Amino acid sequence: MSRLIDKKLSRRRFLGTSTCALATATVGSQARVLKALAESGEVTTSKVAGSKDVFTACGMCVNKCGVIARVRDGRIHKLDPNPDYIKSRGMLCARGNAGVKVVYDPDRLKYPLIRAGKRGEGKWRRASWDEALDLVAKKMNAIAEKYTRAGVMFASTEGTFQEHFFLQMAECFGSPNTVRHPTLCLSSNIQGFSATYGTFPTPDVLNSDYIIMAGANRSEALITPDSIDQLKGDGGRRKLVYIDPRFTKTAAKADEWLPIKPGTDMAFVLAMIHVIVAEGLYAKDFVETLTVGFDKLVPHIKPYTPEWAEKECEIPARDIRRIAREFAKAAPKAVFYPGRRSSFADDDVQLRRAMAILNAVIGNWDTEGGLVPNSKIKLQKHDYLAPWYDDVPERIDKGSAVFLSEKDGSWTAMRDRILAGKPYPVKGMMIYKQNVVMSVPNRAKTLKMMDQMDFICTIDITMSDTAWYSDVVLPEATYLERQDPLESLSGILPVVAFRQPCIEAMFESKPNLWIMQNLAKRLGSEIAETFDFTMDDLIHHQVSKNPKILKDLKSNGVHYMKVLPTYGLTRGKRLRTKTGKIEIYSANYAKKGLDPLPVYTKHAEVPAGKFRLLVGRNAYFTHWTTANNAYLHELMPENTLWLNTTSAKKLGLIDGQKVKVKSPVGEGTLKLEVTDKIRPDCVYMAHGFGVLSKGQSLIYGVGACDAALIEEKLEPISGNVAMHQTFVEVSPA
Amino acid sequence: MSAIVNKPGQMLWFFLLGGCLIAAAAAAGYSFMVGHEQAFNVTRGVPWGILIATYVFLAISCSGLCLISSLGHVFGFEEFTLICRRAILLAILCLMGAFGAIGLDLERPFNMIYTLLSPNFSSAIWWMGTVYGVYLGVLVIEFYALMTDNHKLSMITGSLGFLFAIAAPSVLGSVFGLTLARPFWHGAFLPVYILITALVSGTALISMVMYFQHALRGLEMDEKDRRVIRLLGRILRLMLFVLIFSVFWNIIVGLYGAQPGHYEPVKALVSGSLSANFWLGEIVIGLVVPLFLLMRKNRTPFSTMMASLMALIGMFFMRYDMTVAGQIYPMRQGAKGLTDGLFTYSPSVSEILIVIGCIAFSALVYTLVEKFLSLDLESEHHSQATPDNS
Amino acid sequence: MKKKRYAIVLDTRRCIDCKACTVACKAENDVPLGDDKFRNWVSEEPLRGRYPNLGQSFAPSQCNQCENPPCNSVCPTSATGITAGGIVTVNPDKCIGCKYCMLACPYDARYFNEETGVIDKCTFCIQRIAVGRIPACVETCPTKVRTFGDLNDPNSEVSLLLAKNRYRVLKPELGTKPFLFYLI
Ligand SMILES: Nc1nc2c(c(=O)[nH]1)N[C@H]1C(S)=C(S)[C@@H](COP(=O)(O)OP(=O)(O)OC[C@H]3O[C@@H](n4cnc5c(=O)[nH]c(N)nc54)[C@H](O)[C@@H]3O)O[C@H]1N2
Ligand SMILES: Nc1nc2c(c(=O)[nH]1)N[C@H]1C(S)=C(S)[C@@H](COP(=O)(O)OP(=O)(O)OC[C@H]3O[C@@H](n4cnc5c(=O)[nH]c(N)nc54)[C@H](O)[C@@H]3O)O[C@H]1N2
Ligand code: SF4
Ligand code: SF4
Ligand code: SF4
Ligand code: SF4
Ligand code: SF4
Ligand SMILES: [Mo]
Repeated sequence: MSRLIDKKLSRRRFLGTSTCALATATVGSQARVLKALAESGEVTTSKVAGSKDVFTACGMCVNKCGVIARVRDGRIHKLDPNPDYIKSRGMLCARGNAGVKVVYDPDRLKYPLIRAGKRGEGKWRRASWDEALDLVAKKMNAIAEKYTRAGVMFASTEGTFQEHFFLQMAECFGSPNTVRHPTLCLSSNIQGFSATYGTFPTPDVLNSDYIIMAGANRSEALITPDSIDQLKGDGGRRKLVYIDPRFTKTAAKADEWLPIKPGTDMAFVLAMIHVIVAEGLYAKDFVETLTVGFDKLVPHIKPYTPEWAEKECEIPARDIRRIAREFAKAAPKAVFYPGRRSSFADDDVQLRRAMAILNAVIGNWDTEGGLVPNSKIKLQKHDYLAPWYDDVPERIDKGSAVFLSEKDGSWTAMRDRILAGKPYPVKGMMIYKQNVVMSVPNRAKTLKMMDQMDFICTIDITMSDTAWYSDVVLPEATYLERQDPLESLSGILPVVAFRQPCIEAMFESKPNLWIMQNLAKRLGSEIAETFDFTMDDLIHHQVSKNPKILKDLKSNGVHYMKVLPTYGLTRGKRLRTKTGKIEIYSANYAKKGLDPLPVYTKHAEVPAGKFRLLVGRNAYFTHWTTANNAYLHELMPENTLWLNTTSAKKLGLIDGQKVKVKSPVGEGTLKLEVTDKIRPDCVYMAHGFGVLSKGQSLIYGVGACDAALIEEKLEPISGNVAMHQTFVEVSPA
Repeated sequence: MSAIVNKPGQMLWFFLLGGCLIAAAAAAGYSFMVGHEQAFNVTRGVPWGILIATYVFLAISCSGLCLISSLGHVFGFEEFTLICRRAILLAILCLMGAFGAIGLDLERPFNMIYTLLSPNFSSAIWWMGTVYGVYLGVLVIEFYALMTDNHKLSMITGSLGFLFAIAAPSVLGSVFGLTLARPFWHGAFLPVYILITALVSGTALISMVMYFQHALRGLEMDEKDRRVIRLLGRILRLMLFVLIFSVFWNIIVGLYGAQPGHYEPVKALVSGSLSANFWLGEIVIGLVVPLFLLMRKNRTPFSTMMASLMALIGMFFMRYDMTVAGQIYPMRQGAKGLTDGLFTYSPSVSEILIVIGCIAFSALVYTLVEKFLSLDLESEHHSQATPDNS
Repeated sequence: MKKKRYAIVLDTRRCIDCKACTVACKAENDVPLGDDKFRNWVSEEPLRGRYPNLGQSFAPSQCNQCENPPCNSVCPTSATGITAGGIVTVNPDKCIGCKYCMLACPYDARYFNEETGVIDKCTFCIQRIAVGRIPACVETCPTKVRTFGDLNDPNSEVSLLLAKNRYRVLKPELGTKPFLFYLI
């Protein structure tokens, strides 16, 4: 059924470079007895024998901060920040510090498990790796045989530095149906900014004098180095304007907090552009030479007055006007922060376009304190030649969005088509480091989709809700137990990071490369050959053009090229847009039938007696994954429903009572938190509770799950999901 | 001459106390096994609970007993020589019970050796421990002297005991009074107040014992006995009066000016989490009703006993409330587990069982001694009481 | 060489209440699990104002390593002591667990550690100082709220901070002479 073309060509192209094994690099070990300060003899001398310090990178969230693991007698005692790691400014957050509890979590997956009862029943049988992988390979092949190779979907998320082995598996197995996190997260943001600048730039928060953050909660949703840099430096003139329906911890640190009506940010941004254009505050030279379409913007922006915007977004016109003037005055060291997760409303791409245009008109591009294109340190890629198969259809979600990423797909569009079985059936799921039951909105629908699968295999480190509903669960070694390939992290100051094992992998957990290699062996020699290398081989190949990278990593735990930003490198060069300039007006969008300039559209209003459900992070958890971490659990043992004080009074609800929250797609019960920290028309709950898996012993049966309540809406340009358009009822439970 | 009549109630009494002791031993064993953290309800916010309150209650009662008994063999008030032996025995047993309560509250009692090896003279607890330790020795010798009618020795030890009886409660009071951080305790009031309460509990205890040792043995009270009980009632009445004033002013001072850290605990007593204890336990049971009983012209030994019993119960509440109230005001903003800005505490089953055990211990040993040794003076002659005599 | 006197200077305006310091301290010092077991803490001060005019600050704190520590004066066995650098420590071999020091400390800096069976408190990570490293809570803080150093060295970062800024200490009226300094 499938035909292989010559794959020998590029196979193991890099093997020649390496023969020596990658020696574990550690910080100068402190295997000596410490005489403590004890002048008065009060302190007992602490003995630190058999200790070693290992450089690695945090694996608790997207930021991958530099870590020095302090290992004592084969046990990781403490994770300390690597002071040289410039991206994270030498810090580790609460989650980074709690990493030790991931390794020694009694709930972690220890052995391969095969489902013994009904799906979701929680009955498991411990299996050997051989048995488990045999089963996975058999099922994958059976589905490929019965349907097509596209009948197996591959869901995954970045973060482990080993995801590309999984994607390689998908490609080599021959399925086009990979689906990744960006359409649950920031794909609309990337699309909106890229359509304008040809790239998704990074704000130079450290050097900016005026920052507007809208729906980007940097004090809690940590992004390095922005979260650190957002705070005023010594006597800085810095101003931070924060726009969010919730009074978050960023709001507490901001100079101004504007509780915007959700979904109306575009009105605010357009009105700012209106003021800047109308009052001639824009960067005239810049606009003329570096942008296209300003002439079309001028008439377009006319009707979007602050007075008009006030009615939409409920921020006073006078504030909008003032902020616009202040912003233009601070330019170009002023930035309207692009934000990260942009799964807000179903016109999000156009909102991000508006933000990009606002930045452009004040001349904020590739300059100190503004938006700066990312740089990245080059690593050699592992090339392989994927087998070729005939008769494999195109992505099932093809055409569901205007600009769909080939690799990322669109999560909810894909789910809908799988449920419809159109245009073809997808009956198998391979899942790596993604908890789809929790992270894709409308949990009931995800479970329904999983229900109709012939086979589901999840590779995780703990019994996530997704693993709970799988047929085979494979335990990956945690980030502190693995050698991971080098990863190049782009940014204004790009770095290369890596992970090395601090301790031996516990129980029978294995790194993903090992899992993929051993699965590949069972799927046939063509696939197996693409995996025919060791981690050492790969790493040496990655640095074959620049061995210093590995040397730096071994001696410092991080490699970087520069410690000070360089600006203006793109000046005089073509940008990666069609016109080579900053596209205020997008001819490309016009061609696709999209608004070439952002047009404001009204969203549905909150119906009387209901509330808009908001999604958002807190500094103690990463998505759902850390709620069951013993150290973090005690910081937030349950989630609560935030409800504004006056709204609570109207409903006759009191702080601390249990309430039922009901949406068109689900419901949940949790404790009420009556607070002034949220708009009267919204409610909010933290993500991570209301789990289905009994393998989460600290949080099972606690709190409510937002994913069960959120109605998924599709953002049609990027395929991103919109998560803040669900209206819920709140009643006493 | 020990004419104790076997009564059916006696078996029950011993069984009851024995049961309490066994339960307490079990609770103590459990608390050592699972750790105090698990077994006790004391917290970071309220680290001292009912065990410390019980310690204070018993230790202070001990001093009170000494003070009363010294009226007899030290100051020569003849009437009181009658009660000396019993008072001193009770004092010893109360103190032992007290040591039991605090000992079981300590996490590492065996490290006590360091109070000797590396003493800290600025520690009020060190002084309290030392004073009460020596005090116990003095009391034992005093008891020996009284039992052997060694008047010279009993005079010396009695005088010493009297000094300790004054010093010990005030040192104990200073344990609380010297904590600068806790405005509710801090100040010169506590040592004095504790001395007053010592007299209340001492008097109440001995008059109760005097009553029961007759009633239970079925002995007729002679005029001497009645007179002593009458005197004791009078002392108790006086002390209760003084105490009411102390309590009143303590409350007023606490409420007046609303000084943070002082106001809140007083508020908790008057109208907060401790108000039931305060109004019912301290004021009604502990002060008002006993005073009423003691003011009546035609009071009988029985009503004096009732007044004493209630005063004692009131004293226990007072110790408990004082101990807890001083701690409920958090030492920092944003502390967790507060209700209306204050910590709360209620004892666990293990703690309560241990408290009962400590009291039962004193009572059991006392009754055993009563049963097997004669505490009556040579001069006393008892006659059998008629059954309806109360 | 002059004797050292360690101190921590805090700039709470920079605190985002991320609680990295509390988790770091727990891991570094093997503080048992439990939300009343901690050597340091971050209080969320009450919300100021009413919607939509709100303000809130966060206040990290820990033992003040008082110059005149009441916890030290009350300890019957001298288990509590002042070591080099002015750090107040508890000797686990001598502590009887009377908890008197917990009551005497005006800052709630002490807790009972059920795993060791004795009282525990912040030691400025003395085990790290001994090998030339800074305390865990100081090092890990994303926004560098805390600065650690020797106040007897006029050129140390802490000395310079105190020379340049206005500051306050907690409950100065109690005469404990704290060595945690809060910039204002
Ligand atoms: N309701 C709601 N939904 C959301 C969001 C929200 O805020 N609220 N946020 C959205 C956003 S922005 C994103 S990026 C996505 C993220 O959603 P996901 O991509 O699903 O990421 P996580 O929820 O972090 O789940 C990661 C999974 O990987 C596992 N894991 C952790 N480490 C390892 C490892 O080393 N190896 C393996 N094999 N597995 C590991 C974890 O146990 C967990 O099950 O969620 C989106 N969905
Ligand atoms: N601690 C922590 N840090 C993280 C993560 C984590 O899980 N935990 N995840 C990482 C990932 S994957 C991502 S994508 C980023 C996400 O980083 P952010 O995008 O900053 O984070 P969120 O908290 O998801 O959303 C931000 C805020 O948007 C507000 N909001 C909702 N609707 C609207 C609206 O219509 N207008 C405006 N102006 N605001 C609105 C919400 O109240 C919320 O506070 O964080 C990253 N960092
Ligand atoms: S921000 Fe925190 S969780 Fe994320 S990588 Fe850094 S230390 Fe780890
Ligand atoms: S680590 Fe720093 S910013 Fe975070 S809570 Fe502690 S002091 Fe505040
Ligand atoms: S803060 Fe408390 S524990 Fe620390 S030295 Fe001062 S009194 Fe002692
Ligand atoms: S608990 Fe320990 S350290 Fe504290 S006062 Fe008692 S003996 Fe000293
Ligand atoms: S200095 Fe060390 S012991 Fe003290 S609070 Fe910080 S981390 Fe904990
Ligand atoms: Mo994300």
